Amino acid sequence: MHNKASLALGVVVMLVSAWGVISAWGWPAKAALFPLVICVPLFFLAGAEVLWSLFGAAAHSASDFKLSDHLPQSVALRRTAVAVAWILGFFFGILLLGFLLAVPVFVLAYLRIQGKRGWVFSAVFTAVVWSCFFGLFDLLLHLPFPPGWIPSLFGVR
Amino acid sequence: MIESALAGLLLVLQWKALAFMGLGILLGFWVGLLPGLGGVTTLALMLPFIYAMKPHEAMAFLLGMHSVVATTGDITSVLFGIPGESTTAAIILDGHSMAKKGEAGRALGAALSSSLLGALVGAAALALAIPVVRPLVLAFGSPELFMLAIVGLAFIASLSGQGARGMVRGFIAGGLGLLLATVGQDPQAGVARFTFGTLYLWQGLDIVAVLVGLFAVPEILDLVVRGSSIAGDTRVGQVRKGVLEGVKDTFQHFGLAIRCSLIGTFIGITPGLGGPVAQWMAYGHAVQSARTPEERKGFGRGDVRGVIGPGAASNSKEGGSLIPTIAFGVPGSASMAVILGGFFLMGLVPGPDMLTKNLPITYSMVWTIVLANIITVIACLIFLNRLASLTNVPGELLVPVILVLIFIGAYTANNQYGDLVVMLLCGGIGWLMVVAGWPRAPFVLGLVLGKIAENYLYISVARYHASWLARPIVLVLFAIAVVVICYPIWQARRTRRRGHA
Amino acid sequence: MRIRFALVTALALLALVGCNRQSQAPYFEGKTITIVVGYKPGGGYDSVARLLSRYLPKYIPGTPTVIVQNMPGANSLIAANYVYAQAKPDGLTIGTFNRNLPIGQLLKVEGVKFDMLKFAWIGSAASETTVLAIRDDLPYKTFDDMRKAKEPIIVGATGPGANTYDFPLLLKEFLGVNLKLVSGYSSSADIMLAVERKEADARAGSYSSIAPFIERKLVHPVIRSRASEPEIANLPSDESLAPNPRAKAMMALRSAPEVVGRPYVMPPGTPDNLVNILRDAFVKSLADKDLLAEAKKADLTLNYVNGDQALEVMKEVLNQPNDIVAEFRKYVKFGE
Repeated sequence: MHNKASLALGVVVMLVSAWGVISAWGWPAKAALFPLVICVPLFFLAGAEVLWSLFGAAAHSASDFKLSDHLPQSVALRRTAVAVAWILGFFFGILLLGFLLAVPVFVLAYLRIQGKRGWVFSAVFTAVVWSCFFGLFDLLLHLPFPPGWIPSLFGVR
Repeated sequence: MIESALAGLLLVLQWKALAFMGLGILLGFWVGLLPGLGGVTTLALMLPFIYAMKPHEAMAFLLGMHSVVATTGDITSVLFGIPGESTTAAIILDGHSMAKKGEAGRALGAALSSSLLGALVGAAALALAIPVVRPLVLAFGSPELFMLAIVGLAFIASLSGQGARGMVRGFIAGGLGLLLATVGQDPQAGVARFTFGTLYLWQGLDIVAVLVGLFAVPEILDLVVRGSSIAGDTRVGQVRKGVLEGVKDTFQHFGLAIRCSLIGTFIGITPGLGGPVAQWMAYGHAVQSARTPEERKGFGRGDVRGVIGPGAASNSKEGGSLIPTIAFGVPGSASMAVILGGFFLMGLVPGPDMLTKNLPITYSMVWTIVLANIITVIACLIFLNRLASLTNVPGELLVPVILVLIFIGAYTANNQYGDLVVMLLCGGIGWLMVVAGWPRAPFVLGLVLGKIAENYLYISVARYHASWLARPIVLVLFAIAVVVICYPIWQARRTRRRGHA
Repeated sequence: MRIRFALVTALALLALVGCNRQSQAPYFEGKTITIVVGYKPGGGYDSVARLLSRYLPKYIPGTPTVIVQNMPGANSLIAANYVYAQAKPDGLTIGTFNRNLPIGQLLKVEGVKFDMLKFAWIGSAASETTVLAIRDDLPYKTFDDMRKAKEPIIVGATGPGANTYDFPLLLKEFLGVNLKLVSGYSSSADIMLAVERKEADARAGSYSSIAPFIERKLVHPVIRSRASEPEIANLPSDESLAPNPRAKAMMALRSAPEVVGRPYVMPPGTPDNLVNILRDAFVKSLADKDLLAEAKKADLTLNYVNGDQALEVMKEVLNQPNDIVAEFRKYVKFGE
């Protein structure tokens, strides 16, 4: 897992730095200098990492936290996929419904489906969360939250 | 000078000023705690209210609020792994790991006490530096700032993993950060670099969206995978004892705490380096204080030194960054820019006057920082039990709330949906990096220092051609950078030799 | 029958009363006006907007709430696009952004989705003048002295598109003065610091932002752009020294938007009566004694330029002949 992820990241960085060099080539010298100075070594360093992860032994982990590893990999991956789905779902919910609607819908859905809580608890929790956030961000601070695609179809501003 | 100091203290100790300071502290407490509210935005929102206050009252309010934000931002970072403020992200690496091990109380104790220490050092520096402030800031020109950025980048070496492959990964991460820093319109030729033709990327990537994505998203993913509360199966029992232990830790590592406070103050004083840099350099320095490679591996897993360093630095930076703001009208950070606006509103002109005619007001600021921090720490200690026990709340309840907060936080930074996309992308990158064992700290360093390094290099060369390389401070800084890079290598060699002998 | 008659009369009366109440209540009563600012909080445009937001309600019938929302990004192109195309023309949105946007439109910068001529113009809250100021301890006292200089004079700048960069660039290109532009400073405050450090010798910028440093005797101005303030009226203007009409046209084009220093517009199609209410409110607010006192404390110089005049300036900028535009493009990019 370790090595596979490292390989994937290494390849991504190689692609990104190659693309960086190609984009920067046409720019005036001053604008292109730093990107080139960064991308060229980056490409080779990433290349080294790719080779290492293909042929080398597993590396030490960095001084950063490790994800919990007490679960079997397949379970962990499945749960991660679920989490990603929720996050992306929330994101698209915000785009479609706007913050004001997406937040309560998401919180309620998460509590019910993922958290398996009862209706009453979920509804109350959602209401509290929603009123706290919107009391603060919308009413008090007047931060703008646009209406989302679907409500604006109905003419909400 | 002593009379001014006392006069400043008397200004602060008036009822109205104290009341406003209290109000500022109350607001700052929540602003720092909630990831959705940036200290800068809220400061700007408060500016209109201070029209009615007298100068020292308004200062008490603004500074009271501002001083507190770094401290409570640390709390969110430790407890939830989400950067409460962009200046408190480094503490997540070790602080949150400690919380996951059930040591939330200890982590918070260390964070709070080092924060207080940092604030006191920063305030002391401000007070003591007043006579030498102007020549000090004037001595740091663009060449020195460039070299300072190089020193910061040199810390990437310490923050990388072990061995050659670790170093390579560290430098890849750093390089990636540097590359992302070049996104946007460049100030030499006006070319829009790497903007994919979108307007959104013209001014570069927003650090808040990047940091929140990079740190908060992997943490949330992990929380869902674990299916438990943050503290997992370990009970957060006896928090108070844990807090005391954390405070003891700070005093045990007093030297480190002081050194990191000084790093933070220094970075605060040099205008143009920006807020987020201080904590990462302090973290890098804390990692260096590990005596063996095994100890170094412990960083990122819950070494209390990784809490003390950034905790001290992010708060001491605030006192330091007041210096260029007061003495020159050059804001040392984004929040200082807003406070500067406050100065003008109150008819105070930053410059030599503040250090001579208006010296008591300057000292009242110092005292405000001191008092506000002491009050905050006391308040936090009182509520610490409740705060730490949040790590026992079941994950399914926390996850939606945290997600709502980070989405709102990323969006309201600039009112752009693009920030949400950036946050999600950086979340993906952050998660991959954690799985792959790549260090994230160098990435942040590269991102934060990239623009500074590039701009100041161009200015130095344009202005001084090559002679700037021989300037004394530049040479000193270069030597420091070399030492910083070589230290981990030398240290590893020394342990290996010891092992063989 | 009688009941039905009574009902109908009652309803008719209610309707009449309702209608009357509608036409008597001012349009803005109970509503919120949003000023969309194309910059982050804390900057000049934002400060002016926030100051106005506290005084405008006094002078708008119905005393609506006026709030400020920040929509930074792309030198306020994003905010301008939003106000142009997405905000409703119902009088409840005002936009304020980068005074150089007409240049952006003129240069056909990618991403410009608005037409400055189609906005409903309220006017401008200030006029700006750009000056070049040099450090006091240098031997040059006037612009003429500078022209005779043998050593290059270092001018610090932030980047292309800002007046810190463009103004000296044109001076260097057309007036033959030995300036060396060093750009990359993160803000004008940083440039000032560099001047104090003797790393830079001079700085260009709006007169209002440099004024405090002139007072402190750190720098003195040597040349100004078209618009003028009493204190600098006797300085030569860049256009007056232009050696040929082409040069003069370049400088004129660069300075033209400065008259509309803090533009305030409403979305295209906003009804005229609403625009006029806002214009009126602006005139009165910018004459309000308290507002002016606060502005003075905050070092903001404000004066109202009315919407029609602003529109004329826009027309002047946007109706330049193609060859002038092509030449201009060589020197000036769209930026701050």
